[in-house]
Amino acid sequence: MRKVYLDHSATTPVDTRVVAAMLPYLTEKFGNASSVHGFGQEARAAADRARRQVAAMIGARANEIIFTSGGTEANNLAIRGVCELAEAHGRHIITSSIEHPSVRGAIESLEKRGWLVTRLPVYDDGIVRIEDVHAALRPDTVLISVMMANNEIGTIQPIKEIGELVKEERQRDHRHLWFHTDAVQAAGRLPIQVESLGCDLLSLSAHKIYAPKGTGALFLRRGVRLTAQQVGGHQERERRAGTESIANIVAFGAAAELASREMSERNQHTRRLRDLFERSVVQSIDDIAFNGDRERRLPHLSNISFRFIEGEGLLIHLDMQGVAVSTGSACSSGTLEPSPVIRALGRNEELARGAIRFSFGKDNDDQDVDYALAALQRAVESLRKLSPLSRQTVAVS
Amino acid sequence: MTGRSELNTLSYSEAFKDHLAHPRNAGELEGATAVAEQSNPVCGDRLRLSLIIRDGRIEAARFLAYGCPPTLACGSALAEMLKGLTVEDALKLTRKEVVSALGGLPSRKQHAAALAIETLRAAIQSNIGMS
Repeated sequence: MRKVYLDHSATTPVDTRVVAAMLPYLTEKFGNASSVHGFGQEARAAADRARRQVAAMIGARANEIIFTSGGTEANNLAIRGVCELAEAHGRHIITSSIEHPSVRGAIESLEKRGWLVTRLPVYDDGIVRIEDVHAALRPDTVLISVMMANNEIGTIQPIKEIGELVKEERQRDHRHLWFHTDAVQAAGRLPIQVESLGCDLLSLSAHKIYAPKGTGALFLRRGVRLTAQQVGGHQERERRAGTESIANIVAFGAAAELASREMSERNQHTRRLRDLFERSVVQSIDDIAFNGDRERRLPHLSNISFRFIEGEGLLIHLDMQGVAVSTGSACSSGTLEPSPVIRALGRNEELARGAIRFSFGKDNDDQDVDYALAALQRAVESLRKLSPLSRQTVAVS
Repeated sequence: MTGRSELNTLSYSEAFKDHLAHPRNAGELEGATAVAEQSNPVCGDRLRLSLIIRDGRIEAARFLAYGCPPTLACGSALAEMLKGLTVEDALKLTRKEVVSALGGLPSRKQHAAALAIETLRAAIQSNIGMS
């Protein structure tokens, strides 16, 4: 059976060039970067090089990069780290209603401690409005955290505009205000220049850009301070204790360099496959709805709701045919958790439950699209035959 | 958005996947003498069961289902188990028997079998109401 991986927003395979770059750091160059001897210095030099490579991908300085265990840790460090230190100046956070669970979770943990949170709506296109950010600002707002691009529907948020708003606010003497963006899905797919975006903190993950799982980074603008969440070591300039995973960091650096160099080529490729896929789906399957704005979104991603059927069944039907996709909804112990992202678009429960994310990668080809489409047609047809729901039983909105 | 264990096809048995890939007795039943559609009010899963009951015996059973894969598979397994059973024996069927016909279910998906049994009982009740 052919295997077609269309879940690149979940994770990507490690690029063979990245594997080649990291391998020596698992064997002969195994030193601890904190050691004074030659082995340690070799590891230190490799981490420094990777730090420059990751910094270059986002237009930052090397000393503004903190390596972490991944995007989730970067988001936790950014949000809790900044807020804990800024508590004396205010306890209000502005965020969007479609953030990644790691951002949502970090903010909820502060909310439980009495912080106030404004969650901005995203309307039916899945995009935050700058006027809403402006209206939500309060004198005690200390953090704005809005993702650069959404992980389920790929919509691109107005980060540059929010950055400009933050700058204006600071000029009005609102000094204790910081701006964080989760760029885990955007990295390698959108050009990122932290200077022009105007963000103070930006989260990255290695495994979304063809490097291994287990490494990420937080960009922390020079002069911005935070409370370390991981203590008991002087690594990462006291901001993240723990021996650095040098091989993974080297891999992240190599992947970041490749992502910058090959971004437009990769985007062109995935956009062509994604658009071909979407055109074919429209032609061959009725009763579907695209989720999120179709212009302002990442080029590799498509999120589609299939009416009258449920995403998890569709996912498993596709998996049985070798096609890997994902769904945001889950039903467990008799309670349903429809994707909060799809619900935030104003979709009803039936459409939210029938949403599937297809995310293409640099190694997919036209045959993958053909195969996935045929598998999808079979799966949808089979599940709809079983469904008691139809145009007759459900109001088609 | 992924990573939940219950989404993992590896946690489902071969029997389960076979029911999902090749559902038995799917559809409506012409001339049904007993019909019921039940839904789980919390998660919204639905199961519709149509039966032809003659002389206290289930001659034919068909199902339609909307919801997570265990609900679909339970519908298929139930419809297959019912054919030829006496109403008396059908009323004795338990959740456990439906689950074991599928080669087991993850613990968080047991409610699908409960919906199947509930729908079966409602269908049989509807037949009593008709006769």
